[in-house]
Amino acid sequence: MALPRRVVAGLLTLALAGCATAGGRRPAELPRPVRTVLSNGVVLIAQEHRASDVVAAQLWVRIGGRDESADELGLSHYLEHMLFKGTPTRPPGSIDRLLEGLGGTSNAFTSYDYTHFDVVVPADHLRTGLELLADIAMNASFPPDELESEKKVVFEEMNLVQDDPERFLRRRLTELAYEPHPYGRPILGTPELIRALTRERLARYYADHYVPRNMVLVVVGAVTPSEVLELARATFGRLAGGSDERVSLASPPTLDRHRRVEIPRPEKQAYLAFAWRAAAVSNTDVYAVDLLTYILGDSPSSRLNQELRERLRLVSAIEAGYVASEKAGIVSVTARLDAGNLDRAETAVLEIIRRVREQGVTEAERQRALVTAESSYAFDIETAEGLARSYGQAETTWTLENELAYLDRLRRITAAQIQDAARKYFGDDNYARVRFVPR
Amino acid sequence: MRLVLALLVAGLAATPVSAAGEVVREQLPNGFTLLVRENPVAPVVALSLMVRAGTRWERRDNAGISNFLHAVMVKGTTRRSGGELAEAIAALGGKVSATGDVDYSEIRASALARFWRQLLSLTAELVLEPKLAADEVAPERTWLLSRIQKRRDNAPARAFDELYAALYGPNPYALPVLGTPESLARIDHAELVAAYRAAYQPQRMILALSGQVSASEVVAEARRLFGGMPRGPAAPPPAVAQPEPAARRVRVEMTAQQVQILVAGLAPSLDDPDHAAVKVLSTVLGGGMAGRLFAELRDRRGLAYSATSYYDPVRGPGALVLYLGTTPENAARAEAALAQEVERARREAVGADELQRAKGYLLGHYAMDRRTNERQAWYLAFYEIQGTGQDYPERYRRAVRAVSADDVLRVARRYLAAPTTLVLGPR
Repeated sequence: MALPRRVVAGLLTLALAGCATAGGRRPAELPRPVRTVLSNGVVLIAQEHRASDVVAAQLWVRIGGRDESADELGLSHYLEHMLFKGTPTRPPGSIDRLLEGLGGTSNAFTSYDYTHFDVVVPADHLRTGLELLADIAMNASFPPDELESEKKVVFEEMNLVQDDPERFLRRRLTELAYEPHPYGRPILGTPELIRALTRERLARYYADHYVPRNMVLVVVGAVTPSEVLELARATFGRLAGGSDERVSLASPPTLDRHRRVEIPRPEKQAYLAFAWRAAAVSNTDVYAVDLLTYILGDSPSSRLNQELRERLRLVSAIEAGYVASEKAGIVSVTARLDAGNLDRAETAVLEIIRRVREQGVTEAERQRALVTAESSYAFDIETAEGLARSYGQAETTWTLENELAYLDRLRRITAAQIQDAARKYFGDDNYARVRFVPR
Repeated sequence: MRLVLALLVAGLAATPVSAAGEVVREQLPNGFTLLVRENPVAPVVALSLMVRAGTRWERRDNAGISNFLHAVMVKGTTRRSGGELAEAIAALGGKVSATGDVDYSEIRASALARFWRQLLSLTAELVLEPKLAADEVAPERTWLLSRIQKRRDNAPARAFDELYAALYGPNPYALPVLGTPESLARIDHAELVAAYRAAYQPQRMILALSGQVSASEVVAEARRLFGGMPRGPAAPPPAVAQPEPAARRVRVEMTAQQVQILVAGLAPSLDDPDHAAVKVLSTVLGGGMAGRLFAELRDRRGLAYSATSYYDPVRGPGALVLYLGTTPENAARAEAALAQEVERARREAVGADELQRAKGYLLGHYAMDRRTNERQAWYLAFYEIQGTGQDYPERYRRAVRAVSADDVLRVARRYLAAPTTLVLGPR
């Protein structure tokens, strides 16, 4: 692309939900990742990946939106913003200058199940990267000025989400599909709570949860696992800290016909979104639900796209997605359309779901879904950070072993099992629905 | 790919350390250009087929025709309906899309590497035998109108469109790639067919492919598929009006939570001797989280959420754009602060550390962006279509390393002398 006709909204991105699909898949050719638990409880996953001479180092912390109490909403995300601000030995601004001067990049995001920090640096500078991540994992200093000025940034982020119909749609859908369950909370917090946030409150939350036992370090790139282990022991291995028991989550409420909202919006076009409750990552149904989601709405050849966009011409765009979190999952269908088509599009989506329930899917569809899954994995592993992300997510919400076995298990799912999943999860009424209508 | 990241710091010459092989380049007798890079990293393949057609060749009354044509092209071939095409691509684990852009139009395709032959053959089918059905025109127009509306509903996207219109004036870069509701209404089936015939001449086409493939096999297959196209008449480059820099401020009202503030100057093309220095200037100001806009205006003063700069390589003239997204309450202070940053860049030479940081960031990102096959294919085709030669990346890296603080000051004075300001937001 030549001129910047698209605008990227800043580097600190926020994942509104856990993961795009239930998990990743492993090719035969790559060396296997090596998993080690350090003596203080930090889990290390390392893998050699010589696609280029960089290394991705990622810290995953088992703390996120779901762990916040009612007066802590937004703290996990606020920490995500504050960690790169400095430590006693790293003044504000120095971390960004250090990484960017090396030609490296950094990124971070917060989900309901975890908070994630990553750097990509030239392989020669892995030690620098790990020293930095270990330092911010335990010693973030929350300079008072920075803490206050970051509030404005978080308010801006709230505005930004509201102005972006697609992000706001996903956020409202997730909230509606889960509330009052913790997975339905506002991950950015509320303006009132953020305004009232004190340094002491944030520091306490940090001290309670950023302990070695909650941390996963993933390192993938042009280094050997033994080199990584040595560096990890010298950095993350030295961190000390107590235990933190994660509060176990109740099951989210069942969805019914009362979860329907219509929101007037400034856009000229309408949006329509559905969410059905589906399998959590720990449930063996994830494989069938994943394939079902591909068949319903993952590509131009999918049922939803062929029927609603190409044949009936009711929508400008439509897709299905599956977010499998640790304790629950949702399959969503989202569409952009003219407001006049809302009712007909809704009926058509439900009709497609009903047909899958009653008649199942074809073997050709199952095969295409498998190839799509294989392909999506193959493209993820082009970069070290893509591979590292699939491992970190698996380790924090699932298991690494499940991740590595994913494609093989997916291949064993039959068309009949896909139909069973449709029957089990997709009823006529058991969904949440959000409509955005032009004001 | 060559490693530059680590060596920048040591200040040594770059050494090739690479999994990806050399590029094979071949021009067929009919003028069709072919570039292939073997890359064993992952079992995937990606290709970019670029053609010399895009906004640069368009006028106000047919704005968006290149993109419109490509939207219709992927809706079916003489052998397959749109639905059959979609299924065939999905069966390869593949994706195909086609769009217009400012200096070119592009068909992008990718798949699992073991299906490279089928992917190439499908791409050739799209290019050589598109159906361009008359009854696909109206639905695609409707779809494109919805895309235009989506951009108008999106505050940052709309702000950029308004800025380019103001900045480029009589130059075709002022036109949106998607076109306008008026121009799309005017473009009919016959015009799209004529645009296809004019653009898809072998001497206007470049195919670049990167992936886990054998270059010699790909070259042989591509020769077979594209070698038979008859050479067409030579197409003269479009006559393009030169915009004049004019310091002005444009205010656009839009209902939104955020205010978008953009300050832009006309800037050199990608093969101008000043290009690397303007790249460094753009990075000093708005590259990454240590860039001045992010560090000063967002981190230190909390005046914005989005704070960045853009200066993309185009045939020219380019645009150096400084961008803030902020709240209505902060908008006036943010705009003043942004103007001060422009003045500072024109007044003071950048310090040694800051210069070093900017170069590290710029070259690091350049290397990182060139790691996937999709991006590799794009870069290969892009440099070919821009006529810079395939040694451009190495020349560019050398030029960036050689940029001095004086160069940055000089280009700031030259290209930010009369910037255009655009503010979009609620009343």
